[in-house]
Amino acid sequence: MTTNNANNNVLIQVKDLTMDFGDVHVLKGISTEIKKGEVVVIVGASGSGKSTFLRTLNLLEEPTSGQILFEGVDITDKNVNINLHRQKMGTVFQQFNLFPHMTILKNMTIGPMKLLKKSQEEAEAEAMELLGRVGLADRANAYPSQLSGGQKQRVAIVRALAMHPDVMLFDEPTSALDPEMVGEVLEVMQNLAKEGMTMVVVTHEMGFAREVADRVMFIHDGIIAEENDPQSFFTNPQHPRLKEFLSKVL
Amino acid sequence: MSAWFEDLKEQFILNFIEGDRWKWLLDGLKMTLHIAFFAVILGIVIGVAVAVIRSSWDQNNHKMHGLSRAVMAVLNFISKVYLTVIRGTPVVVQLMIMYYVIFASSTNARMVATLAFGINSGAYVAEIFRSGIMSIDKGQFEAGRSLGFNYIQTMWYIIVPQALKNVLPALCNEFIALLKETSVAGYVTITDLTRAGDLIRGRTFSAFMPLIAVALIYLALVMALTWLVGKLERRLRTSDH
Repeated sequence: MTTNNANNNVLIQVKDLTMDFGDVHVLKGISTEIKKGEVVVIVGASGSGKSTFLRTLNLLEEPTSGQILFEGVDITDKNVNINLHRQKMGTVFQQFNLFPHMTILKNMTIGPMKLLKKSQEEAEAEAMELLGRVGLADRANAYPSQLSGGQKQRVAIVRALAMHPDVMLFDEPTSALDPEMVGEVLEVMQNLAKEGMTMVVVTHEMGFAREVADRVMFIHDGIIAEENDPQSFFTNPQHPRLKEFLSKVL
Repeated sequence: MSAWFEDLKEQFILNFIEGDRWKWLLDGLKMTLHIAFFAVILGIVIGVAVAVIRSSWDQNNHKMHGLSRAVMAVLNFISKVYLTVIRGTPVVVQLMIMYYVIFASSTNARMVATLAFGINSGAYVAEIFRSGIMSIDKGQFEAGRSLGFNYIQTMWYIIVPQALKNVLPALCNEFIALLKETSVAGYVTITDLTRAGDLIRGRTFSAFMPLIAVALIYLALVMALTWLVGKLERRLRTSDH
């Protein structure tokens, strides 16, 4: 294992990342750094590669070439045990992906118990504390099918948090929600950002990007076409595609 | 009418009471249950293993590398040969090959039969299970892996329990088929329920009573099995309201 980044504030370093699906070049060379405590919001049209990029960060999609250094370790190295590093990267999906055959509490404790070897008491106490924070302590013994979409996504977020991740990856977390439930999920994410969690968020919620992000990234055609602080990103876009994109979504 | 009834009673006494012939049926039933029970367990073990091998190869072979890829390729090939051979030949032929060829030196017919039926059932269970695994949304798999579970843990804690629930009716079907297929065990000197009924027929020269009795016992067994699985199904369904 190599620790070849001098800057200790860098949590994730991406170098020349490419990804092909057969003949289609989805990612065409992405390089960037994500610092500890930073909130990076990724926007782009559908098919731009933004979700694929996010999913390569914890190797749910295997990149074709390039490197991803997470906490100084190149996780694209075949000899690295990716499972250990994934424990430190929480992931929240568009479709929630709660485990339907387990209660909410069990959804939240199975990871900490089986992977972090926590006792049931400890894992459950922690899960209840997290559920309380998102206002769902009373649903601990319900099954996912009994929850609304917004509730499911809040559970999915705290399920990931129960593993004490160093970074949270969000893949369009509000896209499958009814409009009236988007707010409750964004609020949880906003609080998380305030607490200093490092976050990478793929979303269409421009309001969230503007208010919460430290940096907004526009991915177009498999590359980072433009990135900037939210103020400049939204008021002074440079790339013609970004101008077009923003004129459609704002 | 009463003459007919008298005749029936006489037949009953002749076939079951005289010479304690009901005990033949009881012993046959025990044999059938023993073979079926252990064959089901063996079938599930083989079936789950083959299903996991086959579906993980189909879904992930493009992501595998080096030695693990080679091992999986061999396992997948063996699984496919197994499925083809077992599903392509009659169970009674497999049973006789096991008893008279492969285990020709063994005198434990019950064990050989259990093995033969278990190996046979495993092929069908494997395909049932594979369809169950394929039916689970791939997001479930991704959620498991992103928490940090490895492939096997994700299968065991997250995919298989859900797959099992989905395939329970089809599995129940297979168990029923297996239970009834054991009726060919008589081909390799085993006195199972069917053979016991046939032995009574040979002794009393009366076919009606022993064969109907055997049929009714199978029917009762299948009904009990169906009831049990139905109960299990309802219990597993607590999570979807």
